[in-house]
Amino acid sequence: MNTNSNTYTVIYTTIIVALVAAILALVSQGLKSKQEANEKADTISQMMTAARFATKADLQKMGNTAVLAKYAEEIGKAFTVGMDGEKIADLDLDKVYSPKDLKKQNYNIKDGGDVEIPVFIFKNGVTVVPVYGAGLWGPVWGYIAFEPASNTIKGAYFDHESETAGLGAKIKDDPAFQDEFQGENADFSVANVFDIVKGGAPKNADGTSVIDNKIDAITGATMTSNGLDAAIDTWLGAYSAWFNKNTEEE
Amino acid sequence: MDAKLKETILNPIFKGNPITVLVLGICSSLAVTVTMKGALVMALSVIVVCGISSLILSLLRNTIPSRVRIIIQLVVVAMMVILVDQILKSFEATYAIDKQLSVYIGLIITNCIVMGRIEAFALGNKPWPSFLDGVANGAGYGMILLIVAFFRELLGSGTLFGVDVLGWLGYTPNNLVILPPFALILLGCIVWVQRSVQKDLQEK
Repeated sequence: MNTNSNTYTVIYTTIIVALVAAILALVSQGLKSKQEANEKADTISQMMTAARFATKADLQKMGNTAVLAKYAEEIGKAFTVGMDGEKIADLDLDKVYSPKDLKKQNYNIKDGGDVEIPVFIFKNGVTVVPVYGAGLWGPVWGYIAFEPASNTIKGAYFDHESETAGLGAKIKDDPAFQDEFQGENADFSVANVFDIVKGGAPKNADGTSVIDNKIDAITGATMTSNGLDAAIDTWLGAYSAWFNKNTEEE
Repeated sequence: MDAKLKETILNPIFKGNPITVLVLGICSSLAVTVTMKGALVMALSVIVVCGISSLILSLLRNTIPSRVRIIIQLVVVAMMVILVDQILKSFEATYAIDKQLSVYIGLIITNCIVMGRIEAFALGNKPWPSFLDGVANGAGYGMILLIVAFFRELLGSGTLFGVDVLGWLGYTPNNLVILPPFALILLGCIVWVQRSVQKDLQEK
């Protein structure tokens, strides 16, 4: 048989590609539930790291089941809010927002769609909200935890899909960057709720960061820092109304 | 085992090592050698992808239209890489590692070793030797990866496979070792050692 004729080539490639696509689709379907379980446990451990229940590494060592159990023990309430700061609906306590869910809401916030964004409040009062945006190579997202009914940040954890290892990837890998958030205040009265500043945030005489809404950006990762800054401003901006109401009441 | 088959297996590991002699697959060997665990998972992934893709393409070799053979190779290799990635994502034990290796698992597709061995060996040889050739090249790559990762994790973090080795001696981790340039320095040292042992590799 002439394996170099046009007809043969076309038919051959079609069959191979269809076959490969079928195999991949089957495997993807078959493994989906397992992958989602892993992703959920990972998301939960990111939220718990932000809220300072444990470090990410410790949570990872605990395993999925233990992480889910600890979360179920600690979580107080979860609900969604709109741009106006009004509560929309209660969430099931085992529901988390995956990066995919956050992406959808990110479009809504930016394009004026129906925003319904989650607020997670742990039993100790610590409030965790997600942020999501575009880094240099792909999406960046994370969780920011606030002290009970306050605009003081308790902790933060960020993750990314494909930022440069050693530079932009530091938003996830460098605990020192995430620690910078601790103790700073978000300013919900302005559009620029929180700032990741290039060239240095204001410092006290002893070298510690002034308590304001500014922290240092990552050297060599301007685009990732800017992206994360925009993500935080966009999302905390969307939560502003809810935070302003919530801190007044208490 | 006949001598030719033995040569197929041993050559890629020492004399014709894909990293130190052919200088292929350098990119990922700089990126994923910060920890032993990452390097081990990467090495196993490349062995699996390389071996099975070579096997499949060797089985298909007489039916592949030569004008589109590169595309067919790419489709098969890409399928294998996606399968490996999907499987790593599905297990609790490997999920975190897969996240840590992030794009580099997907980038096995572009690892010159895989396509290079298929084009140079699998398309002209029977399935069994092709499979062994793929596995051996993956192993040759993995071996260098593990050697580099051994020094980088030991000196850069004071640990091996995450277990504290030097920390209790009061060792201060060297941050330079963690950064990619040090992997290149180490690779250079390995090439140096290999060339001084195997004199026939030295250019006149």
